[in-house]
Amino acid sequence: MSRDETLSEKSTAVGLAPYEDARALVRLIQCTQCSRPLRQPVTLPCGNAVCRACLPDFHERANISYPDVPARRRGVMCPFPDCGREHPASDCGVDVILSKALDSIAGIMAEHTMSASMITTIMEEIRLDDTEALDADSEKPKINKRPWSRLVATYDIAAKGQLPYECDINYIHSTSTSDTGRAMDAAVLQEILDSMHREVDCQICYNVLLDPVTTFCGHTLCRKCMARAVDHSLHCPMCRRSLAIPPVLSRHPSNCTLINLLNAMYPETMTSRAEAVATEETGGEGELNTPLFVCTLGFPHQPTLLRVFEPRYRLMIRRCLESNREFGMLMYNRYGEPQGDLGPVHFYHYGTMLYVTNAQPFPDGTSLVETQGAYRFRVKAHDVLDGYSIGSVERVEDVSLAEEERLEAEETALPPAEEGDVAGHIDRMSTQELLELGQDFVRRMQGRSAIWLRQRVLDIYGQPPDDAALFPYWFASVLPISDEEKYKLLPTRTVRERLKITASWIRRIESQRW
Amino acid sequence: MAAPLPKRIIKETERLQNEPVPGISALPHDDNARYFDVMVEGPGGSCYEGGVFNLELFLPDDYPMTAPKIRFLTRIYHPNIDRLGRICLDVLKNNWSPALQIRTILLSIQALLGAPNPEDPLNEAVAKQWKENQAEAIKTAREWTALYATAKK
Ligand SMILES: [Zn+2]
Ligand SMILES: [Zn+2]
Ligand SMILES: [Zn+2]
Ligand SMILES: [Zn+2]
Repeated sequence: MSRDETLSEKSTAVGLAPYEDARALVRLIQCTQCSRPLRQPVTLPCGNAVCRACLPDFHERANISYPDVPARRRGVMCPFPDCGREHPASDCGVDVILSKALDSIAGIMAEHTMSASMITTIMEEIRLDDTEALDADSEKPKINKRPWSRLVATYDIAAKGQLPYECDINYIHSTSTSDTGRAMDAAVLQEILDSMHREVDCQICYNVLLDPVTTFCGHTLCRKCMARAVDHSLHCPMCRRSLAIPPVLSRHPSNCTLINLLNAMYPETMTSRAEAVATEETGGEGELNTPLFVCTLGFPHQPTLLRVFEPRYRLMIRRCLESNREFGMLMYNRYGEPQGDLGPVHFYHYGTMLYVTNAQPFPDGTSLVETQGAYRFRVKAHDVLDGYSIGSVERVEDVSLAEEERLEAEETALPPAEEGDVAGHIDRMSTQELLELGQDFVRRMQGRSAIWLRQRVLDIYGQPPDDAALFPYWFASVLPISDEEKYKLLPTRTVRERLKITASWIRRIESQRW
Repeated sequence: MAAPLPKRIIKETERLQNEPVPGISALPHDDNARYFDVMVEGPGGSCYEGGVFNLELFLPDDYPMTAPKIRFLTRIYHPNIDRLGRICLDVLKNNWSPALQIRTILLSIQALLGAPNPEDPLNEAVAKQWKENQAEAIKTAREWTALYATAKK
């Protein structure tokens, strides 16, 4: 796996067994530079960890003028070949959680190595690189012997600097049975798990860290918790130092040492945690799973531009971007009108699903969100999730074309309307005539250079569509009348119904009753 | 239909019961796990010593991203607490951090009782008295504590 890519939360964690995988477990906490268990680990901006003392010397950085902070003027060349970038000195804080976890492990290992156990472990070093075996010293593979079970013995030779990071171990059979050794290692690991447990909880959600990201100041949170925190404040929640993370948080690499360690040690917890988050975010199965934005009116196939600044809606938009990029747009019910079964809720219960085509975050944390209307829906039930509304919705769809035709035939065949009965007259117009009425009106208004049809408006919404099903949505998007009036289009079930509504607007405008 | 209670609130509540802080208690309502009845004892050596103060605490929807809402129910004579029981405390406002918790907030409030700060007043009248005649102010605070905050059993 490339270290640059952030680790997927949906992956299933594979645990390591304390006896069989003793070598691999110890490698998880070994420094790639000095091969000892990490001491005062620094998690670099690339997500790799190294002992503070194993960082190369700092040097003056060239061509850096922004941001001009003393600690950013010096840097180190990253010792990890897959990164190789220059990291500013300011970004090399000791990783607090990783330090504590390693201290826990070191403490437990120290207790076990105080006295000899009944078990002896004999370890033969396997060098991956054959050429090294040609060295005079290493003609014979190096043998290490320790009076403890595998996991403790392996940790000990690493701590003594006798286990190169890349080397594997051939465990040579000793006097004790493997069952005894297995049981002892299981007990040691359990002790470590128990003592590490509280250290690896996220300070925000109180769950074990999921996809942890570490700030330059060495503090770690779940990626999602970090993102929520920076929505509210650009300061580290733990030490309040100002953070530079937000605009690039989505690309900020995960703390891979912690991820690998947690996956290996708490595989069930990590897997179920990832699943729980996935469910939480969608709000359960097929139920209250649609994020709702009570803000303005949107229409199918029309663009809606939003400036999002409230933290709760920024969270909502981010979750959208991570799932299907859709959220429901609802209009605020300012007069408290009853909304079907829902009663006088704070929104109108018909809305439009918007698809996020582009979200442009700004340094101040707000974003400009460009959306395109997808389909209409009605809210069946609603609730609140993390400060914003969510709901279960059902699509509002037009009747079949056959039904549409039947309706037109029926209405156009009515006896002529009386003189002055505007609605009656509109009812009897053919669907095509209704569309032409609208298009003709637009042409006449353009001829009169109506403000609402200026080029700037057409640049956003395009030319009036020829499709009778869509024309009313376009028309409503550009026409300067009240949103409550335009909202009437959303619950409609037929093309005719919508065109009749737009026709009635035109007649009212023409008779100057508006 | 209520959203399930976040794990964080469940754990915080458990820890408040299992590892109580001396002189502080917070019990959630049976019918609303986000609403707590809080009791804070006046710190020893302060003019609130011997007093038991009741507060109400509410965890808003986006807690812990926003601070708990908290106010004194028991009347108290203090320059940073107004007549409605509202508290002027930086960690409840601009200095709130989601890494803080109910426990730390209640400890901060207890500390505020031990160290009134008339320079950053919420209750101007009390703060004025505190600055002009501190002995008198402390005497009033003691009297109020005896009058309103002595445990009724
Ligand atoms: Zn090292
Ligand atoms: Zn690097
Ligand atoms: Zn978290
Ligand atoms: Zn920090």
